[in-house]
Amino acid sequence: MNADQAADLMVDSERLAARRRRNRIRYHGTQLAIVGVAVVLVVLFAVAVKEGLARHGIRFSFSFLGNAAGFDISEGKTVVLDNGFWPALAAFSSDLTIAQAFVTGILNTIKVAVLAIVLSTVLGTLLGVGRLSTNWVIRNLCFWCVEFVRNTPLLIQLVFWYFAVVLHFPPIATAAKFYGVVISQQGLYFPAFAWQGGDAPFAIALAAAFCVALVGAFVEKIRPFRWACVAVLVAVPVVMFLAGFVELDFPVASRFNASGGVGMSPEMAALLLAIVFNSASYIAEIVRGSIDALPKGQWEAAASLGLGRRNTVNDIILPQVFRVVLPSFGNQYISLTKNTALGIAIGYPDLFNIYGTIANQTGHSLEGIVIVMVSYLILSWIISAVVGWADRRMASHGAAR
Amino acid sequence: MMATALKWSRHNLFGKPFDALLTLTVVPGVLWLIYEAVAWALSTAQWDIIPQSMRVLMIGVFPADQVWRTWVAAMIIAALTGAALGSVFAFRVRHAGFLAVALAALVVATGVSDPGNLLYLAASLALFIGGWALTSRVPFSHKFLMPACFVGLIAIFAVMAPPGAGLWGGLLLSILLTLVTSIVTLPIGILLAFGRRSRFSSVRWICTAYIEVMRSVPLIMVVYWIWILMPVLTPQFDFADVVRGMIGFTVFYAAYVAEYVRSGLQAVPRGQTEAARSLGMSEFDINRSIVLPQAIRVVVPPLVGNVLDIFNNAPLVFIIGLTDFLRAGQMILANPQYGDRTYEVYSFLFVTYFLVGSVITFVARKLEAHLARGSR
Repeated sequence: MNADQAADLMVDSERLAARRRRNRIRYHGTQLAIVGVAVVLVVLFAVAVKEGLARHGIRFSFSFLGNAAGFDISEGKTVVLDNGFWPALAAFSSDLTIAQAFVTGILNTIKVAVLAIVLSTVLGTLLGVGRLSTNWVIRNLCFWCVEFVRNTPLLIQLVFWYFAVVLHFPPIATAAKFYGVVISQQGLYFPAFAWQGGDAPFAIALAAAFCVALVGAFVEKIRPFRWACVAVLVAVPVVMFLAGFVELDFPVASRFNASGGVGMSPEMAALLLAIVFNSASYIAEIVRGSIDALPKGQWEAAASLGLGRRNTVNDIILPQVFRVVLPSFGNQYISLTKNTALGIAIGYPDLFNIYGTIANQTGHSLEGIVIVMVSYLILSWIISAVVGWADRRMASHGAAR
Repeated sequence: MMATALKWSRHNLFGKPFDALLTLTVVPGVLWLIYEAVAWALSTAQWDIIPQSMRVLMIGVFPADQVWRTWVAAMIIAALTGAALGSVFAFRVRHAGFLAVALAALVVATGVSDPGNLLYLAASLALFIGGWALTSRVPFSHKFLMPACFVGLIAIFAVMAPPGAGLWGGLLLSILLTLVTSIVTLPIGILLAFGRRSRFSSVRWICTAYIEVMRSVPLIMVVYWIWILMPVLTPQFDFADVVRGMIGFTVFYAAYVAEYVRSGLQAVPRGQTEAARSLGMSEFDINRSIVLPQAIRVVVPPLVGNVLDIFNNAPLVFIIGLTDFLRAGQMILANPQYGDRTYEVYSFLFVTYFLVGSVITFVARKLEAHLARGSR
């Protein structure tokens, strides 16, 4: 290598370094420009909104949240500060603040969403497994139910359940009764557990043990302890029943309403029915899809071991399916939670419905939207966090996918 | 014959004691339900309300003397959907014949007897078949499909606008909303999907935030939000409710389309991009002519499913005061004269929605099979 070539190399590497530097500067410059444009757009948007609102004589501020609501909500609890310190649940009334009205909406949404998630998972799994039944009638019945629900709008299902089913239930004076469940157009009433223990220390200790065991049954990592928790979960209620700390409270229908038990308004019943059946169909499709996606060898291996079909499904197929479907279930749960916003069509006071009332009453529709949006975002995050946690847990327990 | 039936039922209905128990409990219940439904439909139900209110159900409160405008829109829609279908499925004369017979059966069933309407209906069918034949016989015409869609949409707006956009309604509004949303979200969704994999982290962040936020809030809220926000932002333009609704749907569904497209982009093997890069193609060319065509191929079935999703969510426009198909049905029921026809009207709505939905699902499944066959 002579001096010339060495010099050339030097120049080359310098040139390369210079080009790299230029590229880097260009990259960061573009990056900065994009951020700048985005910020300018957001600022312009904010200014336009502010001016638009000013034209209507409204100031963008969240101070209206502290004002008295002045309207009533047909059902639902809100958080009140007992003695100004302890948060407690109480029925909403029109002299409470608008913020508390929002809380009522969120709690109503959560109430429907949680019930619907539990019920639709059970029903959906049954439907999904039913589509693979050896029984021709069951198989086709499940298939057509799922197809019908998936190919029609949720909203028409909802209004059908409300206007054509729930409102056609008998009036409460002649309500249908099944084993303590009262079904009427004024609402559904179920037997409920009623606390009779007062503040007896033994009763409270039992209740606390029950709660601890409930948590332990889900999060405890060591198997014998987990089974112990499950045993406590079964034993404690039996003891509480025998000791009379807890009683079944049956609803009693009178001429105009029912007392006792747990009541459910006709709106909530219709919303729950519509959402449960709708989500169950989608969940059934997810379950069926994952069963189809399992290798055929699993069925064949089970058959060659002499397992019956039911044992194969229960012990071989479903455990594997539940390891892979959880993320899809999570997406379905999120979309279910969003679907509760349709409650406005039949007058169920969910978050979106109450927001509508507030926007009408106060004119602060844009601030309200921010609150509603953030609430739904947080609900979605909570669901995906819980499902992700359950998914990781399932994965850590069991076989590779 | 008898033996086969017995063998079949032994196998499929009474294979095991549990199956037999299920069959014995479920079959009578199902038969009773079917019997009750058929008995009601044939004797008790008063179906005359459906032909009487057919116009309201189909086009809402659009003025009766302007009906030709809606028919022109229907013809354009027919031609466009035919052309879209033809770019994937080959045209067969027997399919067209089957379609004609199905439409004739539908006409007889719903009792459309006005000669003018029949003529328009026949013209729509002819345009549908024409569009289908054109794109499937002339591959060259595929290039013009997307521009033709946009031109067609503009033509529909131009034809339907004069009596006032506030008068749009009925099934036509649902279909228009679906069509506009599914066509306009496609380019936006593709851009967002590319933005989410951009070299620039800022672009990635913005696109991801948009998609994730839109996917975690309810559609009904987005539609309502856009509806109240637009007059605040642009007081100088007075957008009709319909347009604001369409914009709301587009803003929401663009995020979903972006996610579908992104899943398609991920399905394109890296080797494709690397090979194109080694040939010296620019990033833009690589994305446009190597990655995107392969990605679109993968995502067509889910995108058709998305169209069904849009159609099924179209009734949500009731929140901004529009009269779509479902709302039109409810409007008829609100008439005290027809107060007792709840089940008749809802049956008709359900059957129509189910038929449209089933057709879209069927097309999506066929497409999936069709495209899977091609890629092997």
